[in-house]
Amino acid sequence: MNDETSERVKEILEVVMSYARLDFTKKTGITGSHDMLDAISSGVNMLGEELETSIISLKEKEKLLKEIHHRVKNNLQIVSSLLRLQSEKVLDKKYLDLVMVSQNRITSMALVHEMLYSTQSLGRIEMKEYIERLTQSVYQSFFKPGLSVEFKYDIDRQLFFDIDHLVPIGLILNEIISNSFKYAFPDNKGRISVSLHRSDQTFNLNVNDNGKGLPESFDVERDGHLGLQLIHMLSEQLNGTVEINRKNGVSYNIIFIQP
Amino acid sequence: MLLNNLLNLVLYTFVDTLNPPDTATESAAFWTWMGDDGICRTRAKTDAEISVDDAIANSAAVTSFFTGKKYPLMVDARNVRSIDKNARKHFSINGRETKITSFAIMVKSPLSRVIGNFFMGLNKPTVPARLFDDEALAIKWLKTFL
Repeated sequence: MNDETSERVKEILEVVMSYARLDFTKKTGITGSHDMLDAISSGVNMLGEELETSIISLKEKEKLLKEIHHRVKNNLQIVSSLLRLQSEKVLDKKYLDLVMVSQNRITSMALVHEMLYSTQSLGRIEMKEYIERLTQSVYQSFFKPGLSVEFKYDIDRQLFFDIDHLVPIGLILNEIISNSFKYAFPDNKGRISVSLHRSDQTFNLNVNDNGKGLPESFDVERDGHLGLQLIHMLSEQLNGTVEINRKNGVSYNIIFIQP
Repeated sequence: MLLNNLLNLVLYTFVDTLNPPDTATESAAFWTWMGDDGICRTRAKTDAEISVDDAIANSAAVTSFFTGKKYPLMVDARNVRSIDKNARKHFSINGRETKITSFAIMVKSPLSRVIGNFFMGLNKPTVPARLFDDEALAIKWLKTFL
């Protein structure tokens, strides 16, 4: 390889490396000799142009997707606020409870969209952060003076789920934890534990409280309200199964396959 | 049959219809003219670095021969040095009105082959288009779109 050829090869390599750093300002020179190196230089230049276009287009799509998540979250918050406004002058406790349950369901979905637009990875969210934020949000909604419920988390790190799984998981957690706050702690004290572990292709989500438990006569099939029906329906949506254990409070064990 | 094949071989071997006549329209990067066979031809100048302005001027020159019936186009890209991204996009005809039924791109050097392949692969022309290194075969193919 003579000096001139060596210089041209070096120049092409430098441009390839700058493209690898996503710097598209450089181009390789084309001598007009119509030889192989001119052909390679031309190909590198055009690949750089096309790559730059693709990256710009990808960034625009990401921006658009973030904007959509932001708007969905805002719209869900508006729905939640409307519900609250509508119930401001209502004194009926049953009605107020229904509004709060609906607001919590909406919040669990809004949180997914909020986290999706505020994270680097647009399509997936780390479960540990989502579960912790969601459970604290439910706690806030039930908070009253004297209430002291401790949360314990045992969640595998680096578990990422997409929106198709986050929404049902969020709604399931919301239902179970809301039930605990509503029925498990008559003395306003207790503990709720949430664990999520991966084992090969399956995930095991366990939520349990140390409250008073379900009455002996309670039949899930017969006495289960909308919340329990939702838990079963959403678990099916995850291709999962639900097992309810009544020992030492109430424990829900949901096993579903890898997303 | 054999005689016909031999005649075609002789004819195709000596075909050279890409020398611009005096009447050709000249722009910064191209000569463009209509052949007697109804095939429009455009030839890039030696070492042409084609920008989108050159591409637009070329399209205007090609379109100027339209009198109600669309026609095929032969593009001689053998001497091109480069075609920039926007020019490639313009030549792909995607989303714009065209008066051509098809086009053949003549390539020869490794450089023109790379440019031609890029254009065909990434820019995907919206009318039938093919690369050729044999002018006679290109004409034969284009005539099917007359």
